[in-house]
Amino acid sequence: MTFLLVGLGASVGAFLRNELTSLSQKIKIDFPVITLLINIFGALVLGLFTAHINAGGLLLFLGTGFCGGFTTYGTLNMELSQLWFQRRFFRCFLYFALTYIIGILGFVIGIHL
Amino acid sequence: MQKIKTFLIIFIGAFIGSNLRYAESLLFKSSNGFPYGTLVANLSGALILPFLIHYLQDRYHLSSKIILALSTGLLGSYTTFSTFTADTYRLYQSGSWTMLITYLTITIIGGFICALLGNYWAATRAFIDYAGRRKNQ
Repeated sequence: MTFLLVGLGASVGAFLRNELTSLSQKIKIDFPVITLLINIFGALVLGLFTAHINAGGLLLFLGTGFCGGFTTYGTLNMELSQLWFQRRFFRCFLYFALTYIIGILGFVIGIHL
Repeated sequence: MQKIKTFLIIFIGAFIGSNLRYAESLLFKSSNGFPYGTLVANLSGALILPFLIHYLQDRYHLSSKIILALSTGLLGSYTTFSTFTADTYRLYQSGSWTMLITYLTITIIGGFICALLGNYWAATRAFIDYAGRRKNQ
């Protein structure tokens, strides 16, 4: 039963992430801003869920499932490595710093909201 | 209709990926609370994603649907950023500074190195294939 909750939540999260990243092909910003926003927003929402949901099943569905599937670490590091190979070191560093600092802050804010 | 199709393709990948991560989090549960599960999922996913995109895709002529299921669906859901932030906060709250610093360092630096290695791995395999084809000609 638990694997159904995790799998369903993650599918919705991953689909939503895909919808948002397909938007990024339309906006002309030369920075992986969509993945950045997805990860920050996902961390904030997981903080909220962790603080306010006590039911184990619902938390598995929304936390481990939805937030886990919505946010991504694989794409983040793929994009970081691309910036590195393109020798755009400042952007690479900025993406690093913004993701990790605001991401962790996002969770902390979420859990206290 | 197209949206439903996209959802179903991602659904298959995400279902498997998220449950692999969940299984690892249960399998690598440690008595001291160090999140080995998230770490294993995230580092392996960061290594495999560039290899998939830069090698396997061309090598096996994978269609865009398969790539969507495997990269956005499976690996995207297998790896996670939100759980990492939750783990970080939990370690901070429990005051286990050594574990916190270790976890942060391995996640931040290790994942990046894994992604670089994944790119080199793809380039090396592609070169070996190319050299093999030239030898046979």
